[in-house]
Amino acid sequence: MPRKVFDGVDYDDGYDDDYDYDDLDDADYYGKAQPSEPVKETIKRGTWSCPICTYDNDESMTACDICGVFRNPLPHMNNNHDKKTATAKTSDSSSAKTQWSKTNNVEDNNHVKDGVLRLQANNKASASSSISKESIPSMESSSKLSTGNEQLGDQVSGASSRRNRMGEGTPSVEEIRPQSHNRGMSKSDLPSKSRAPYKPEKWMLPEKEGSDLNQLNLAIVGHVDSGKSTLSGRLLHLLGRISQKQMHKYEKEAKIQGKGSFAYAWALDESPEERERGITMTVGVAYFDTKNYHVVVLDSPGHKDFIPNMISGATQADAAILVIDASIGSFEAGVDPTKGQTREHAQLIRSFGVDQLIVAINKMDVVEYSKERYDTIKQKLGAFLRLCGFKDLSVLWIPLSAMENQNLVSASSDARLRSWYQGPHLLDAIDSLQPPTRDISKPVVMPVCDVVKSQSTGQVSAIGKLASGALRSGSKVLVMPSGDVGTVRSLERDSRPCTVARAGDNVSVVLHGVEETNIMSGDVLCHPEFPVPTAKHVELKVLVLDGSAPIVIGSQLEFHVHHAKEAARVVKIISLLDPKTGKASKKTPRCLVAKQSAILEVVLNGSVCAEEYSNCKALGRVSLRSLGRTVAVGVITRLIED
Amino acid sequence: MKIVRRDLVRDGPGSVKMVPVDSDDLWFAYNLIAPGDSVMAVTVRKVLREAASGGRDAERVKLKLEIKVEAVDYDKVGTVLRIRGKNVLENEHVKIGAFHTLEIELQRPFVLRKGVWDSLALDVLHQASDPGASADLAVVLMQEGLAHILLVGRSMTTTRARIETSIPRKHGPAIAGYDSALNKFFENVLQAFLKHIDFSVVRCAVIASPGFTKDQFHRHLLLEAERRQLRPIIENKSRIILVHTSSGYKHSLREVLDAPNVMNMIKDTKAAQEVRALKDFFDMLSNDPDRACYGPKHVEVAHERLAIQTLLITDDLFRNADVETRKKYVNLVESVKGSGGTAHIFSSMHISGEQLAQLTGIAAVLRFPLPDLEDIEM
Repeated sequence: MPRKVFDGVDYDDGYDDDYDYDDLDDADYYGKAQPSEPVKETIKRGTWSCPICTYDNDESMTACDICGVFRNPLPHMNNNHDKKTATAKTSDSSSAKTQWSKTNNVEDNNHVKDGVLRLQANNKASASSSISKESIPSMESSSKLSTGNEQLGDQVSGASSRRNRMGEGTPSVEEIRPQSHNRGMSKSDLPSKSRAPYKPEKWMLPEKEGSDLNQLNLAIVGHVDSGKSTLSGRLLHLLGRISQKQMHKYEKEAKIQGKGSFAYAWALDESPEERERGITMTVGVAYFDTKNYHVVVLDSPGHKDFIPNMISGATQADAAILVIDASIGSFEAGVDPTKGQTREHAQLIRSFGVDQLIVAINKMDVVEYSKERYDTIKQKLGAFLRLCGFKDLSVLWIPLSAMENQNLVSASSDARLRSWYQGPHLLDAIDSLQPPTRDISKPVVMPVCDVVKSQSTGQVSAIGKLASGALRSGSKVLVMPSGDVGTVRSLERDSRPCTVARAGDNVSVVLHGVEETNIMSGDVLCHPEFPVPTAKHVELKVLVLDGSAPIVIGSQLEFHVHHAKEAARVVKIISLLDPKTGKASKKTPRCLVAKQSAILEVVLNGSVCAEEYSNCKALGRVSLRSLGRTVAVGVITRLIED
Repeated sequence: MKIVRRDLVRDGPGSVKMVPVDSDDLWFAYNLIAPGDSVMAVTVRKVLREAASGGRDAERVKLKLEIKVEAVDYDKVGTVLRIRGKNVLENEHVKIGAFHTLEIELQRPFVLRKGVWDSLALDVLHQASDPGASADLAVVLMQEGLAHILLVGRSMTTTRARIETSIPRKHGPAIAGYDSALNKFFENVLQAFLKHIDFSVVRCAVIASPGFTKDQFHRHLLLEAERRQLRPIIENKSRIILVHTSSGYKHSLREVLDAPNVMNMIKDTKAAQEVRALKDFFDMLSNDPDRACYGPKHVEVAHERLAIQTLLITDDLFRNADVETRKKYVNLVESVKGSGGTAHIFSSMHISGEQLAQLTGIAAVLRFPLPDLEDIEM
């Protein structure tokens, strides 16, 4: 174990053991594969003719293929919450989670409906299509009455739906009834649930490998004034994304305002407030291409007050560049535990699941490209990053100077640097990052980072990164938590229209049919049949960071999940977790202090769209802040219905 | 609160005639009046009278009633105190034993007769009659897209307005949208500011936010005041202070009260003392957890060992308790004071009181560590 150089605090060995939230995505979580879709529906069992459109449907269907009308009218029809109901899933499988594309309701189903068929039928249906969500832990599903939803017939026999708005409680186990008897009567009264399978359509799957560059979302974080915006601006300029004329304009204007050195940063900081004060306040988004990737740069603010905005940017990141100011004094100020942001940023991006990090040691020209300074920084910071949970192999160290354009897109021309550094330059380092895995096969989920209403056309567009699934023009989307349904009019990526957007793409979605007041930053766009739950009362598993005040029952904190933030209050501390084993070690402790992991319950002032971490990572990561510091980071383990 | 006449024996029965002057006084009255006391006041009652023609006539008659209190209800929104009870005074219109609800209003005297005037009640009475220390502080707590206007009074903090809008980020062409949305937001906050903040009552106004929102709003405020000739703002320009907080949510109010320039102005007031006492408690909890405890059981145990140095208790506990528990708490407070410690009674309407109430409502900082408290069930 390397000696801790800079402070005497003893970090637990198990710090990063507990922190490996990413381990949750191993195969064992998702359980055994479900048997594949039963094939049977083509058995000629006879046909019944639909009373409305007189189409001859197969005996196995409970609803007409063409018009969606049920074969037998439902006995109970509830009218509430049309859009938000979910059909429960079936869980005849093991207690492991099931993936989206696997079907659950296997049994002796005659009624199978594969994803495509259902989608078709659903498209005809009204907005109140039932939603089925498979992602709840099996073995449990709450059963609430379904709404008199025609689509339910398709889903399953004996399905019952769950109120989506109420968040998810612990579902109870259900069983599937064989569909053969009781077609019409299924839903509402029967306790069993079923989950309709989600099958991604053909256009969603990526085209042949190699034909398209992968998209990589890169967050740039670091202490204030370390040179993040300047570095991004430089990169954009060198790769030709900013024309020479544009650059001249920035330089001229910057000089007039007395901020000549910020000329490159102005490429990212576009608002007058940011330029006047010389800082970044909100995340600046820019695009450039490297050999292997379409890179989306998320230039984050470094200032302590704007960390909520930085969190918003970091949730979208796949990899990150941590910019360090090498000059004497600035580095020390940056790593200061209370006043510096370097540590807080590193901990936050790690908690967002980023495991690949490039540490760019900037302003090397000020320290004359000295190797000793580089080594000191590398050693100090390396120890800290290791404690955060970054593996040594996934951290790359690049000394550079954004101001003098050294070691950015080509090997350095400065002799002093070249004498001791032979490693890759920044662009090469970016190229060497591993491509992140993308969840294309799940229903679309896109947390909305920003909502823009264009003055000229009056159209509302939502900007964000797709966490899973895919979208194209014409797709129907559901805005949660307001429940509005709209259609995608067009997609834009990097100010250029595109046809399909897949998981991992950072796009601007122009929506049709959604009121401006019904959508705002922090909402989530999802598939109308697989709505994202909202909750006000959640159970979390958190790790308390150091330097924070103790957390007691009643502590008031700010709760951040994807782009949403709410004021929250701790109502119960359920148990402490042993950092080594992860098991509960002490029930109901009095308070939580730094470096402890625990399970606790918080109640929010307003409801947010959130999901258990095991179902959807992007919607399950949370950070708790108080008094300007991040107090704890963690994941949602359970949504509690009130 | 104007005390017109006092006629009581310490720890014995007695009566006091008083006139509430502002809404804070209603809060004091709420803390004083307990079930079992009797209140006499002038009130209006609908009375059925036989008219000459034989028909019954309902008439609203103003009469002086004395009722034995059964329930007291404080209406935060309407700032009205309602006391429900049975009539005990002989009256031509109302029988003895009939139920009546008295409404205590401002500027109307009433007489409170209690069986036992314990030290706590006398404390409250003393505070109520203290003319000085009217803390009134108006705070505009904001962040981009969210603003709260709060009035911090002597014994309570009320939220006067809450404004929330969605402000788009500054992406490329949409910058113009950001500006106009921000201006609309500031305009709304300004309207609320003018409506709820009265500089004749309030000592000073604080604008607090993270980042630069407060500076932007302050600039907007002054510009608009000049443009529209808003006298109240122009004359009181110097009484507007800017403070930095970490967020615009209500719980950041404690940071406002902690800020040095605000603290100077309100240091003698209850609100500031409460914030400081609670802060000390949390500091102790983080530095030396064995010297801090909360929860009635733990505090009792600590008290038995004479370990309590500072007792923090909310007035909620006194108000809702039955006579036995109330006496127990009163004794607790008195004995802590007697043994050289200090007791802080938090008003549950202040943010620190709310936070303490979340934490079971009673907490203590101890003189020496008691590590075995951990093992005792809460």
